[in-house]
This record gives sequence, structure tokens and C-alpha cells, in this order.
Amino acid sequence: MAHHSERPSPKGKKVSLFVTCMIDMMYPETGMSVVNILEHLGIEVDFPMAQTCCGQPAYNSGYQNESKQVAIQFLKAFKDAEVIVTPSGSCAAMVLHEYPVLFEDDPQWKAEAERIVSITWEFTEFLVDGLGITDLKARLAQPTTFAFHDSCHGMRLLGLGQAARTLLGNVENATIAELNEHEVCCGFGGLFSVKMSDISGAMLQKKVNNINASDASTIITGDSSCLTQMNGGLSRKGSSKKVRHIADVLAEGLGGERK
Amino acid sequence: MKVESQNFIPAAQIAIRNPNIQEAVTTGTRNSYVKRNIAMSTPTLEHGEAMRMQAAEAKRRALRNLPDLLEKAEANMKANGITVEWAQTSQEVCKLVVDIAKKHNVHLVAKSKSMVTEEVALNDILEAEGMEVIETDLGEFIVQIGKTHPSHLLAPIIHMTKPEIRDLMVKELGMTPTDDAGEMTKFAQAHLRRYFLEADMGISGGNFILAETGSICLVTNEGNGRMCTTLPRVHIAVVGIEKVVESVKDYATLTQVLPRSGTGQVMTVYTHMINGPRQLGETDGPEHVYVILVDNGRTKIYDTDYAESLACIRCGACQNACPVYRSTGGLAYGWVYAGPIGAIVTPLLVGMENASPLPQASSLCGACKQVCPVNIDIPRMLLELRHDLVEQGETGKIWDIGIKFWAIGNKSPRLFQMGGSMARFGRKHVLKNNLPGPLGGWTDYRDFPNFAPKSFHQLWKERQAAKNSHNGGSNNG
Amino acid sequence: MGSREEILAKLRAAPKPFTDLPKRDTYLHMVPIADKSPAALRKRFAEEAKKLACEVSEPVSHTDAIQQILALFGENKSVIAWDFANIPLPGLADAFATAGIQIADVRDGSVRVGITGADAALASTGSLVVGSGPGKPRQASLLPALHIAVISPDQIITDLETWFDGQLAKGLQHFRSAAAHVVISGPSRTADIAMELVMGVHGPTRVHVVILP
Repeated sequence: MAHHSERPSPKGKKVSLFVTCMIDMMYPETGMSVVNILEHLGIEVDFPMAQTCCGQPAYNSGYQNESKQVAIQFLKAFKDAEVIVTPSGSCAAMVLHEYPVLFEDDPQWKAEAERIVSITWEFTEFLVDGLGITDLKARLAQPTTFAFHDSCHGMRLLGLGQAARTLLGNVENATIAELNEHEVCCGFGGLFSVKMSDISGAMLQKKVNNINASDASTIITGDSSCLTQMNGGLSRKGSSKKVRHIADVLAEGLGGERK
Repeated sequence: MKVESQNFIPAAQIAIRNPNIQEAVTTGTRNSYVKRNIAMSTPTLEHGEAMRMQAAEAKRRALRNLPDLLEKAEANMKANGITVEWAQTSQEVCKLVVDIAKKHNVHLVAKSKSMVTEEVALNDILEAEGMEVIETDLGEFIVQIGKTHPSHLLAPIIHMTKPEIRDLMVKELGMTPTDDAGEMTKFAQAHLRRYFLEADMGISGGNFILAETGSICLVTNEGNGRMCTTLPRVHIAVVGIEKVVESVKDYATLTQVLPRSGTGQVMTVYTHMINGPRQLGETDGPEHVYVILVDNGRTKIYDTDYAESLACIRCGACQNACPVYRSTGGLAYGWVYAGPIGAIVTPLLVGMENASPLPQASSLCGACKQVCPVNIDIPRMLLELRHDLVEQGETGKIWDIGIKFWAIGNKSPRLFQMGGSMARFGRKHVLKNNLPGPLGGWTDYRDFPNFAPKSFHQLWKERQAAKNSHNGGSNNG
Repeated sequence: MGSREEILAKLRAAPKPFTDLPKRDTYLHMVPIADKSPAALRKRFAEEAKKLACEVSEPVSHTDAIQQILALFGENKSVIAWDFANIPLPGLADAFATAGIQIADVRDGSVRVGITGADAALASTGSLVVGSGPGKPRQASLLPALHIAVISPDQIITDLETWFDGQLAKGLQHFRSAAAHVVISGPSRTADIAMELVMGVHGPTRVHVVILP
């Protein structure tokens, strides 16, 4: 399997956006943020319309056959892609870590799966590790204090976290504060959030308490699933704080002019 | 111990709503997790990670060579004067212990902590044979007088608050009420001291069996482990077959990553290596030392893709790191082994049909693997067990059907986009703030957002169309 | 077939796991120590032992050492002890006799002081390697509330790995000739009651290490 640190350089290549099923249906503006940032950097972006889902929800619940059927659709949708970028650590981890498992014994799709694995990047690691870009020359209109929630799959399977902090750290008017237990799971875990909703809710409560206690007004994450879980808990508890996707904050800063 | 793991979800719910359990388990696990992180990144994180990999290799190599190492360990232990017995089942373990006890005219047994003896419910059998058994690890002693079960690999009563422990000791032992942990400990120590001196037999577990030297290796902090294994005439160590390690070099690594990972200590207070019974000219030490090598389902696990779970050195780090365990405590898991490692070995040892909720009791966050001193890939095995559950039909019809529909909807781009529209409609007009059916648990604890008025697919299509017409387009019309 | 044969047969019938494990030829030490000079190791040992809540004293002479030890006894007149031949402090036997300190039975639970030497002292963690044997009763470092350990500075080595290297060099028969060893790292303790650390449970409440000059 091409370990994610062995992927060929994506520099100079066209990017095919994998927007993820969740962002497609619930947060399309985040997808647009990614497009805007990439095009701002002079990168050609396309969006294969045949894309659906990476297959993670079924896979994490043990339904490997059904997951694979959907994963094959992913392979088909991206058959002409040179580089795939996705604003989701968990979806990127699904492709990078689990597609090799799913397609290990599949003579028909194994080679294509390996090719896809070698060209797939999570959004922040694409910018920083893939392209070497650490400063988008962005500026937020208002000074804002942020703190990071590290989404589990991205952090532990892909080593994400530093890239996003570097990018946000270079945004003018952005201050980065600490979130206590930033590396502890928010409790989403896919269908776990509903199958074991009491436990998911208890994990969420601890996360909400930590967020409320933080100096940050806004929590940053690279995964819309975590974002949905945390915002769901924050609004239920009447908190003034919100969780935003890193792409949206960076794109917002592109609008502002650096002095 | 009786298996009650099928009750996990309601038991977890009760635990979550119990403020005492919440306070005790949250504080206890957080505390140990933070200490572990410090100990395993000293002097640097890189070094800690390298030691983890070294420990991981040591256990896997031992497992690869397990039958040969068991024979070597047995030969060396025998040469050292230890009697070695083998037991396949719970009943055999208990019968062996009873027979040894009867042979040596044992009436009083002092026990040091052993999870394997919990598996086989040894205490109940000994008591049925008319022996008195006293647990000497402070936490296990409280468990015994409270007639409950240990909830954590290292800290048996991590789920109890100090007032609860105090009240139990007042009620069952006549302790004068005090909120001072030192006073409570002193009371327990005074109560237990005579048992060490009067016991005929000591029973311990074993953290490692060192094949190269034929040694039983134990780590304890309180001193009860040493007392149980040095004061009574007879010592029996009950040890799972997977505890064998190859060499003193491997042991030196493992016996140092274990305390760092479990409690953040650089060494457990007593790192004890027992070669055999007392020798000619010695004035203390047991006259007879026995080891019972226990299978009880381990050979079955060895023959599966889950053999890696046998690398566990029972340090408890995964329990301390796990956000699910932190919310539920260990008793909800319904058997001896709780938390991440418990979610794997319990169904493997007692049967999937008796513990089917446990592999689901995880958000797959991966914290367990990150802290495991032997780098067991617990998330990978949880995923595989979930796959097994599906294959064995243990997941519930509603999910089987739901996922089939999900697959149909996501295989086809057209159906996917249609499904999105329907979801949008349904969310806005029909279900309002609720999700359908089994997904309804979401809104018990959090709000659910609206679906976007237009999907990204739609927005992109419109954007491309606008671009093309703006370009005066080759696509006119 | 008995259980032994059945267990081994089942293990051998299964496919061997982890067959693609690369062979290891170097072993890292848990605690890397750069300065291994005797002076540095002595200093490190004292520091680490104190972190474990040991008391450490470094008398300037054998006479001074004996005085310190007698002071630790206070009013106590009995001790569970290693044979004097195994404690590297000349004159101790006479000093005890003069002070009226009697050697007690190893199982005497009323005795409040134990005294031993050690097999080795580990600088990396402030630990003592205490082997058992004739003249080296286990209870001397276990049963009484105060354990006094007398070590000479040349007994201080780097770490557990180094101690095992020494055992390997002697041929493991030497290690196996002792019925038991324990590596003692401080006084006994527990955090079982609501995670509050309490020093002194079943093993000694105090460990006092005397590092001879």
C-alpha cells in the first residue's frame, strides 16, 4: 500500500475535489471555500459529478460488502483524476487506510485502488505538505480567537494537525488559543453517535464543557462530522460558541486585504 | 465471572446517569492518562515511541514462538523447583488449585490481584470447598467486601468515590468513619496484615513468565504481592499462556513500559522475579511454588486474525485513554476485561453472541492504540469484529436493511442526488428536528442542522453553467 | 492427551502469527543515560531515589554511617536483618550489640525496622535490586515499616538493562541460583482510594538508603 507519506508530489497537477457526502448535502459552502482557495492559488479544480460517498459509514459498522460497492463508485467517479483533495480527515483516512484493505484481494479493482490511494490528499496536508504553501496571505476582518479540535482519524491515522495550525497561524487577525483535551474524541464515530447515543452524548458533553471553558470563540476542525456533533451539542446547551471548518475560515480570510 | 455483556447499552446508560461513577471514573482515568503521556514522552516523544515499538516486537516475537517458549519456560521453571501445571478450562484451573490446596492442608488463602482468577471465578470455588479466601490488593479487598467486581485492570475501584468506599468500610468492617485516604488505608492494612502471616497459601497472577530463566514475574505497588508469595508455605501463580516472554532483554523493556503506561510510574514499587521455592539455608520464602498455565480460550484466539490481542500486558493504558470507558466505567462491560481491550477479548473468550454490543462500544478514535505499550491495533480488530457481527447476523435487521438501502442510494450518482433532495425535503417539512427510526437517538443530546437548500453538486453545476455562458461559450443554448 | 499436550498441539496447529517481523539486533534502554561516570551515577541514583520518596543519606565515614543508622532505630531494639556479612558496613554487628538491638525472627510482625544490603542499585530509576538467599531474608525489606538499605557506591550501576547484561555475562545460572529477586523502587504505596496517593500500605512505609562513602 502506498503509505500516505509516499505519495508522489501533487504539484502542478489538476485537482479533483472529493467534497464528501456530508458537505455535499449539508455544508456545500465549505466545498466552495476549498474551490475558492485552490483557484486563488492558480490551481485548476474539477468536480467529478459522479461522486457520492467514500463508503465509510457502512465500513465502520462492519458492512464491508456494501461499503465496497460504494467505494467502487468512488473509483469510477475519479478514474480520470490526477490528484484528489478532500476537506475531511476521516474520508481521506478511509481512502488511504481502508481502501487497501477493501481491495486487497480484488483482481479487478486492486490496481486502480492503489492508484487512487497514491493521489488522495486531505485539504490542509495538500496545501502544506503537498504544495509547500504555509501562508495564504489571508486576513480576517475581525480579530478572532480560535482553538483547534483535532479530529481523531485525521490526527491519528494521517498525522494531521500541524498543517492546519500553520495555515491558520499565518492568517492576520487570527489568534490561536488552547482547547483542553483537544485530542479527545467528540463522540461522533459515525453510526456510533446513534447506536450508542447515551455514550456519544456523554462524550459530547465533556467536549462542550471544554469548549465553553476555552478562551476561543470559535473552534476549528477539519471534519464536518465532528463539526456537526459539536455544533449540535453547543446549540442544544445554548452556547455562544461555534465550530467552523478550517477551509471556511481560510477562504473568508482570502477576501480580506493584507496591510 | 458471570457474563453480562449483552446488557452493555442499558448498563452504560445507568452508569452515565450516576454522578458518583462519573466523578470517580472521569477523574481517575484523566489523571492516569495525563501521567502516562508524560512518562512515555520522557526524555522525548520519539524515544517513548521507539520503546513502544521495541516492546511491541518483544511480545509479537513471543507469540510467534509461543509453543516452543512455553516448553522452554516449563523446563526452566521445573529445573528451578517450580511445579508446572496446565489447564484448558475454568473448571480445570479451579480443580488444580483445590487439589493443591487439599494436598497441603490449606485453610486460609491470601490472594494477590489476578484477572485470570476472576475469569474462572476461583474464589467462589475455594469458598465452596470450605476455605477462607482474602483479597489483599486494597482495591480488590474493597471489591470483595462489597461483593462486586473490579472495573479496571489496575485500579479495581476506580468507579467508586471516597465517600462510597468509606461507607462500605464502615458498614462491613466497623471502621471509624474518616474521609482521610491515609487513615482508610492504614485501617485496611492493619486488618489485612495478620492474614499474610497466617495464610497457608498465597495465590497470585503473573505479569510475565520469563522463558529464558524460568521465572514468574509480578509487579505490584502495595507489597501485598510480595507478601502473598513469600510468607505462606505454598504459592500458586495462575497465569495465561500468552504471558510468556522470551528473554531478560525483552523483560527489561516490558517491565518498564508497563508502569509508565499504566500509572505513569518509572518502575512499579515491587518488580518481583520468582525463580522457585525457598532454598536450603533460607529462613523465609514458600516451600512449594506452582504455576498453572491457563488456556481458557486463548488457544482459540491464537488461531484467528485476532492473535495480536494476546500481546496485551494488562497495563490499563487503553482504559485510561478511552473516552467511551471514561463515560461508562468498567462495570457496564459486564465481564472481567473492560474498555478497548475488553471490547475485543471478551467476545473472543466468551462468544460473540454473549458480548455483541462490545465491539460497537467505540467511536474508533484510536486513542487506545496510541497509548498501548505494545501497539495493539485495537481499532483494526474492532472493525473486523464488527464485520464478523454482520456476517454472523448479530447486528439487527433494521441496520442490515438500512445499510442495503444506503448502498443502493450511494452506488448511483443519480439516486445519490435524488436522495439528497428527499432528505432535504423530509428534514424541513416532515421530521423537523428529529431523525427517522434508529437515527432518532441523535436528537436526545444534540440539535441536528438543516440540509442545505442546494447541494454542492447543484451549486457546482450552476457555477459551471454561469462560467460557460459568461465565456460566451462554446456551449450555446 | 493431557491438557499440556492439547494446548501445545492447538498452538502448533494454528498458523504462526507475526511471521514477517523483522529481527531486532539492538536494544534501546528505557532511560538513556549519557554520563555513566561513578560520580554521575551516584548523583543520579540519589536524585531518582528521592523522587520515589526514598530517604537518602550519604555519610562521610563508616562511623558516621553507623551513627545515622542507630539514629533511625530510635527506641526500637529489634530488627529483621540480612546477615551482617551481606551488608557492606564493617562494625555494624558490634554497634547493634552495643546498642542492644536484637535480630528478630523473620516472621515477627511487631518488628518495625528491617535492614539489608542490596545486590545492585539502579541510577536510572533510584531502584534497589534485592535478591534472596541464605542470610538474605525477604522479610527484611518487606515486613517492617522502615526498610534501611546499605549500599556501597560501586554497587550503583546505570539501569535494569545493564544489571541483566551483568547477569547474562555471568551465565544465567547465577541469576537462577537465587530463589527470587525484587527490584524495589521506593516505599509501598496505593492510589486505589479515589486516586489519592497514600504512602505505606503492606510493604514498608519508609525506605532509607544509606550510600556509604
